[in-house]
Amino acid sequence: MVVSSATARRGLVGLGLLTCVLWSASDQVMAARAARRPGTAPTQASASAPAAQAVPVKAFVDQYCVTCHNSRMKAANLILQDKNTDDLARDAETWERVLVKLHAGAMPPPNSKRPDVATYQGFITTLEQGLDAAVAKAPNPGRPPIHRLNRLEYTNAIRDIFSLQIDGKLMLPGDDSGFGFDNIADVLSLSPGLMERYLLAANKISRLAVGDPNVVPGVTVYDVSDRTMGQDDRMSEQLPFGSRGGAAIKHYFPLDGEYSVKFTLQRSDLAATNMIRGLDVENLIDVRLDRQRLKVVKIGGSGDKPTFGAVANYYAEEFAPDEKAEFRFKATAGTHTLGISLNRDHWAMEGVGPARLSLTSDAFNQGVTSGPGTGRIDMTIRKLEIGGPFDGKIPAASDARKRIFVCRPTGAADEAACASRIMGALARRAYRRPVSPEEVATLVTFYKKGRDGADFDTGIQTAIARMLVDINFLFRLEKDPGGAKPGMPYRLTDLDLASRLSFFLWSSVPDDELLRVAASGTLSQPLVLERQVKRMLADSRSSMMIGNFFDQWLYLRNMASVRPDPKKFPAFDENLRVGFQEETRLFLESQVREDRPVTELITANYTFVNERVARHYGIPNVSGSHFRRVTLPDDRRAGLLGQGAVLTVTSYADRTSVVQRGKWVMDHMLGVPPPPPPANVPPLDATVIEGSLRQRMELHRKNPVCATCHTQIDPLGFALENFDAIGTYRTMDGNTPVNATGKLVDGTTFDNPADFRKALLTRQDAFRRTLTEKLLTYAMGRGVETFDMPSVRQILRETKTSGDRWSSVVLAIVKSKPFQMRRAES
Amino acid sequence: MIITKRHLDRRTILRGTGAALALPLLDAMVPAFGPASAATPVRRFGAMYVAMGMSMPTWLQPKDGELAMNSILAPLEKFRDRMVVATGLDSEPAVSVGDNGNHPRAQAAWLTGAHAKKTDGPDIRLGVSLDQIFARQFEKETQLGSLELAMEATDLVGNCAYGFSCAYNNTIAWRSATTPLPMENNPRNVFERLFGAAGTTDPKVRVRQLKLDSSILDSVNQQVSGVRKGLGQRDVAKLAEYLDAVRDVERRIQKAEDQATREMPVIAQPTGIPATFEEHARLMFDLQLLAFQTDLTRVFTFVLARESSTRSYPEVGVPDSHHPLSHHQNNAEKLGRLAKLNAFHVKQLAYFVERLQATKEGDGTLLDGTMLLYGSGMSDSNMHSPRNVPTLLVSGKNFGIKGNRSLLFKDGTPLSNLQLTLAEKFGAPVEKFGDSSGQLSTLAGV
Repeated sequence: MVVSSATARRGLVGLGLLTCVLWSASDQVMAARAARRPGTAPTQASASAPAAQAVPVKAFVDQYCVTCHNSRMKAANLILQDKNTDDLARDAETWERVLVKLHAGAMPPPNSKRPDVATYQGFITTLEQGLDAAVAKAPNPGRPPIHRLNRLEYTNAIRDIFSLQIDGKLMLPGDDSGFGFDNIADVLSLSPGLMERYLLAANKISRLAVGDPNVVPGVTVYDVSDRTMGQDDRMSEQLPFGSRGGAAIKHYFPLDGEYSVKFTLQRSDLAATNMIRGLDVENLIDVRLDRQRLKVVKIGGSGDKPTFGAVANYYAEEFAPDEKAEFRFKATAGTHTLGISLNRDHWAMEGVGPARLSLTSDAFNQGVTSGPGTGRIDMTIRKLEIGGPFDGKIPAASDARKRIFVCRPTGAADEAACASRIMGALARRAYRRPVSPEEVATLVTFYKKGRDGADFDTGIQTAIARMLVDINFLFRLEKDPGGAKPGMPYRLTDLDLASRLSFFLWSSVPDDELLRVAASGTLSQPLVLERQVKRMLADSRSSMMIGNFFDQWLYLRNMASVRPDPKKFPAFDENLRVGFQEETRLFLESQVREDRPVTELITANYTFVNERVARHYGIPNVSGSHFRRVTLPDDRRAGLLGQGAVLTVTSYADRTSVVQRGKWVMDHMLGVPPPPPPANVPPLDATVIEGSLRQRMELHRKNPVCATCHTQIDPLGFALENFDAIGTYRTMDGNTPVNATGKLVDGTTFDNPADFRKALLTRQDAFRRTLTEKLLTYAMGRGVETFDMPSVRQILRETKTSGDRWSSVVLAIVKSKPFQMRRAES
Repeated sequence: MIITKRHLDRRTILRGTGAALALPLLDAMVPAFGPASAATPVRRFGAMYVAMGMSMPTWLQPKDGELAMNSILAPLEKFRDRMVVATGLDSEPAVSVGDNGNHPRAQAAWLTGAHAKKTDGPDIRLGVSLDQIFARQFEKETQLGSLELAMEATDLVGNCAYGFSCAYNNTIAWRSATTPLPMENNPRNVFERLFGAAGTTDPKVRVRQLKLDSSILDSVNQQVSGVRKGLGQRDVAKLAEYLDAVRDVERRIQKAEDQATREMPVIAQPTGIPATFEEHARLMFDLQLLAFQTDLTRVFTFVLARESSTRSYPEVGVPDSHHPLSHHQNNAEKLGRLAKLNAFHVKQLAYFVERLQATKEGDGTLLDGTMLLYGSGMSDSNMHSPRNVPTLLVSGKNFGIKGNRSLLFKDGTPLSNLQLTLAEKFGAPVEKFGDSSGQLSTLAGV
């Protein structure tokens, strides 16, 4: 057992070592490339590199590569000796791998014989041109299989078909991810369990949309906050001024009727009391529907102050104050915002009143708020439950009903005709194409089944339920045209293209205009296509692409679940969590919507803050909960790498992690993910090695097993050590001054976060390529393959010639072969 | 006997959303509506998981032989003749191989005898769980192969702890080594799984809904053949997956239609999750009882407390968060509170056993054909130990397992041997289960 695991480990380490060496850049080439590239760099792509001359592949490989990459040495398990150097397409996969290393300047390794820069570039050009030409002769746009809508797409589709906002998370399970994204056709499977949920969802959604007076009252629970989080500031623009904490929740009310709301207050249940927090102070809890006050509930103060004799009462969940926390109200059908907040009359940072107790202090745990060494404990909201409807009535005109009932039958005679009209219009949106009379007839059959023994509306509701489990709704089906030659590429129909566009940019179905253009057969005309893409990007629905793509690419989704250790980071409260998310969301929106150059993700000199985030960043003169754009006072926080969300999701709960941050930069900015660590690596042992984290890490890197990779990963992480695990700027880590200096493998040195960004910019091509590959993966719903690489290079070239801006990246992707075409079944 | 609608209305009055949403408790006199006249008596299985071990000083049996009651077992006193407590069984596959994650590993190994592959991506791997071996056996005869219940979180994707997928932490039911089954914690959704979207068990409403569902699926099924044109092999494979899913649900609906016409108490769909642990647990057990009674399923799993749960139980004097408390450092006071918490969980089991006992089936009761396995994947949670895990069996008399016994096994006996033995008892024998080394011959002894 011991022996075998040791062997396995050695094997893995060996691999890791090679992989890392492969990546490590050579000083001279990188330096030379950096020198040639001030600011916006010239392209590294072959076509426009005039200096590059064709370099015979065989001669180059023999001279510089096969010393190691031969059948005996098999360095990195790569043998170049026997590869076809005349017909590059034969070993395209190998050559693409070689190109990645060459672009990174990583091969030949340091201390080996190297060609001069012109020859080096020439070789890259020769390889790329050879590979591109081969693919141009036999293009392969790929063939994604039929594509199930994921949960988000399903939810958005329902919104766009019916004007109905549902909470998809309550109806459907989450989806698996592949290649880092959850919209990958191959991975989106369909189990009987999921089918059952689809059928249930179809029944429920059809009832919600049409409005079923017999809908069984239900309760939806919204978690407002984790118990380790404070709620100090105004949480949302939807909540009143002078409030703190709580949440503004969008909820769909299915009928006109009575609903109930119940909120639960946070308890200090970390230890012995389970008391409602902050009960000794009177709090006003304000509940609003669409900003209109429903009720103010007074909780706390002398009336509610618990007496310690009545211990049993503390323990009971139904302890009196919570009883006040439930009441009924009337609401009309549709989506409304239910807001809950507390009044803010503590102004701790102005030094008025006792300081807030640390959420993990003993005093806090025991609920002691008076006496020496104690302080204030604020009441916070834990969750909110919305129940109902009670005595609901079908609304005269909900948005969904307006959308559905495009006609009303005047009598029995024209009922069927009206049902056909209604279902035809809905099915066109749901199936994302004009529908055949047979398809409408199928739905009308179900209208009839539902109508039998009930009313017209029930008939329509039944037909809608049928439509929502139709394969044409649940799946995106791209069919080979009749007469397509096996294995040959063909252009997608305009209607299929419309769906690809809308799921890429909106994570939803095409709207009426896009469908109309596609149905008229003009969408594939370049100008029309460009106009539609611009229109769609300008539409607010494109926030889906921005949010969904970046959240997954950059791991920002994890921001919702991070839990910094409250002992180490008492400042991290719910406002900061939401604030960081909002900051990055607004920043990315502004980048894309203002169509900035993509490299500004690294360099932008502005961000979005409210008072809470500004205070955290040390930006003066920002007050209130409204987010606004601010120019950064210096460049240490420039771009994404200075934002709290990125810095927090790449940290551990109790400290920063140079490895996680370094790996994040390699994965997401440079596109050269380090290999996974070998099994059973001993953790950093704080008791064995004294000194700062950096000193300990450096000692650790002296171990040759670790060094091969960590000499490359760690410096990228150390560069960000000026930011702690929740993104606070610091110059000291505990008792040790922060040392954020470092050197990239290519020898570029940096002294601080700002310098580090400049160093990263010397590799902006790697960044662009990474971004392009990721966005292409997301757009196609499949992984990027070897045969896609010429398209990736084409997209990079087009993007660059049109200003390197977001719209140009998106357009270049939309115009690319893998997006517009498909390979016929062979 | 039919419980009238009026009777129910009284009990299902919705006072706001919180309190009174318990199901109308099934009248103890109501017989089971299942196939009571079947030639071979029906066998049913339930596995209940409680996280983070027990207060071992209280739990451990002093000797082999007659069962010694203790404060944790006390709620089950009435059923001691049906109980066997096993001591000394090891959940060895849960042991660390340097992969951290004691909690997910313990929960994952308990009913599968397999070691959880450390990953938080889709490449999860564990093993088939015991309940699913039984589910496969019975699913042809029931609407649902099995029912999966939980009191807490239910997500199966994402990273829950130490780089382990939530699948390991949020379910104990594994259809295959790579297919965890999601558990349901909301009684409202459990009701939907059992009775569909009709919102009630009223046969008039339900049958109409079922007929519609069934014709919807039938229509989808027929449509698919027309869709195949122009699709490739991989597409057709995906389509087949869709069709299989449709047929599977169709079959369940057919079963439901058959079963919907049986006499059944008319019950409205629960509103949501009741406020207290006990109300919630009882409602879940009520639904499970209903599923047994009506033979909707014969197999269930129920995670009463998941690993790393931070729930507190102030209602029984345990205001501490479960996970921190389980690191009791052998402090007598903390162990005492942990024992109270353990007993509170057992009390919920006792409620269910009582209801099974009170429900007539044929000449006997539902309990007679029911086997319940109750336990944890850890013993001393302070040490995260997966060895000598607390294991309790409540078995109906049809299984021929003598009760009121404490069985001590020698060190190193795999917990998997118990699963192997139970599989045999259920007439679903397997050659090997996880790390099993043989049957537990003493268990069968009458």
